[in-house]
Amino acid sequence: MLSIEARSLSKSYKGKAAVDGIDLSVGAGAVFGFLGPNGAGKSTTIKMLTTLVRPDAGSLAVLGIDAVASPLEVRRRIGVVLQQHSYEPTLTVQQSLEKYGMMWDLPRAERAERAAALLDDFDLADIRGKRNDDLSIGQRRRVQVAREFMHDMDLLFLDEPTVGLDPAARRILLDRLRARARAGLTIFYTTHVLTEAEYLCDEIAIINRGRIVAVGSPDDLKARFGVERTVRIGVSSVGDAAAERLRAIGGCTVGDGTVTVRSPESGGAQLARALEVLAAAGARIESLSAVPTNLEEAFLRVVGESNAPRR
Amino acid sequence: MHPVARLVGRNLTISLNPGFLIWQVIFPLIYVFVAGFAYTSLIDVVPFGGRQLDYPAYLATGMIAFNIMNSTLVTGIIIWNDRRHGMFEQIMSGPFTRAHYILGNVITQGIVGLASAALIAVLGVAVYHGQAEFGLYTVPLIVFAAVSGSILFGSTASIISTRLRSSEGFNVIINTVFLFFAFVSTAFYPAEGAPEPLATAFYLNPLTYLVDVVRAGMFGDGPAGFVLVEMAVLVCLAAGLFAVAIKMLTRLDF
Repeated sequence: MLSIEARSLSKSYKGKAAVDGIDLSVGAGAVFGFLGPNGAGKSTTIKMLTTLVRPDAGSLAVLGIDAVASPLEVRRRIGVVLQQHSYEPTLTVQQSLEKYGMMWDLPRAERAERAAALLDDFDLADIRGKRNDDLSIGQRRRVQVAREFMHDMDLLFLDEPTVGLDPAARRILLDRLRARARAGLTIFYTTHVLTEAEYLCDEIAIINRGRIVAVGSPDDLKARFGVERTVRIGVSSVGDAAAERLRAIGGCTVGDGTVTVRSPESGGAQLARALEVLAAAGARIESLSAVPTNLEEAFLRVVGESNAPRR
Repeated sequence: MHPVARLVGRNLTISLNPGFLIWQVIFPLIYVFVAGFAYTSLIDVVPFGGRQLDYPAYLATGMIAFNIMNSTLVTGIIIWNDRRHGMFEQIMSGPFTRAHYILGNVITQGIVGLASAALIAVLGVAVYHGQAEFGLYTVPLIVFAAVSGSILFGSTASIISTRLRSSEGFNVIINTVFLFFAFVSTAFYPAEGAPEPLATAFYLNPLTYLVDVVRAGMFGDGPAGFVLVEMAVLVCLAAGLFAVAIKMLTRLDF
């Protein structure tokens, strides 16, 4: 069962393609990461998936519903946390949650119950009486995400939900999302923080220049698009002269008791030269470990290759 | 609950804050009970429909229409705030359509307009009682004024709110437009006796027509003669501006 199925989805603004015939398949219960550089077409895609914007061409089924023909039916079953802040300045945090529950037609008693639980869950209890206008950016963001859980949904869209959050709040949010995903909620997640995507997502699509340029699990993408192989060498000591020579090797950094060598995929010349320098300097190698490629490197390579002029 | 009713509930909750209540209740009462009596030293009586009215009674009835107009600012402010603070997009990604959103705002402005008119009508009794002649048409004319005025001025505020993003621009334009409506009208003073160009300008202003309809209801003239023409003009203007506002709201981009 697919929660999202898009085929040849396109949208242009003033003759310029913002999204250019993309295909997307998001399985039910998955956390799907949607990554891309600024201006790649992420927001336009999300606006189409959430029925805010009508596609120019292609087909789109969300939760098995034709999203172009029946957008309201789709909207009744999804939750959306927009990239931009959304709040009513005159309401307090608690009122925001309860009024949002009212907008989703929750009975009064259930509204109060859910709001109380979310205030605790998202660490908002201390600021429940504060007006939205008086909140910090991070607090406002937390309220915005918490508010979306006032109603039931089958699919949640989160467009850069951690912008403005401190690391602790970010981790709390990611853990909450993980828990919801384990309980069966499908999540469509965009972010520029690739460690978040790696932590949270089962599958990732990368979009660039309006086209999907890679799809796969985080491990799959790293294996396919890892740009460099990085080796960390633990050494007893390296003299100043040897450190200087090591730094002269491209991709080589010298730290306290470690030398890190990043070699291009095509060869290990840097590593060989670094070992030569260490041997010549009489340094004792105490450990040797391979550092796995991270998602950021894979992302940069995918985007870089898709930016290269097509022949 | 119907989606429109939910949006109306939400609109009323976010609008009924102390600032708005002061604007809607205290200001008009100051006009009626302070300015009205203070100006009697300058303006003893005012001619209206073949009779002479005390200035406080004249002003109080003008304030009913003035308050209907003022209350519709709420619609412009809601739309402008929703766009500025991301709630328009948020609502549109929820279980609502644009038609729900527009209807929700229209009904909100109607409720606030009627409540404002009723409030000043009730509190103003102390001022115009003895002069007012209530008839069968009194309440229908006030309701007519509240509904047509709400749609007319609410649509004007909505159109302005869809065109302006900055708070400075919105405040300057909306206050200028509404200041013009308020003071280039017969809400505060009669057209008779004013310099000719100004008296003509009064009748290019829909608030004057609204005020005339309210006074016709309060002082026993009823919907006859020129008031009927004014009512027709109000209906046409309200319908036209409403159509433009709907079109602009429908075209609002994300």
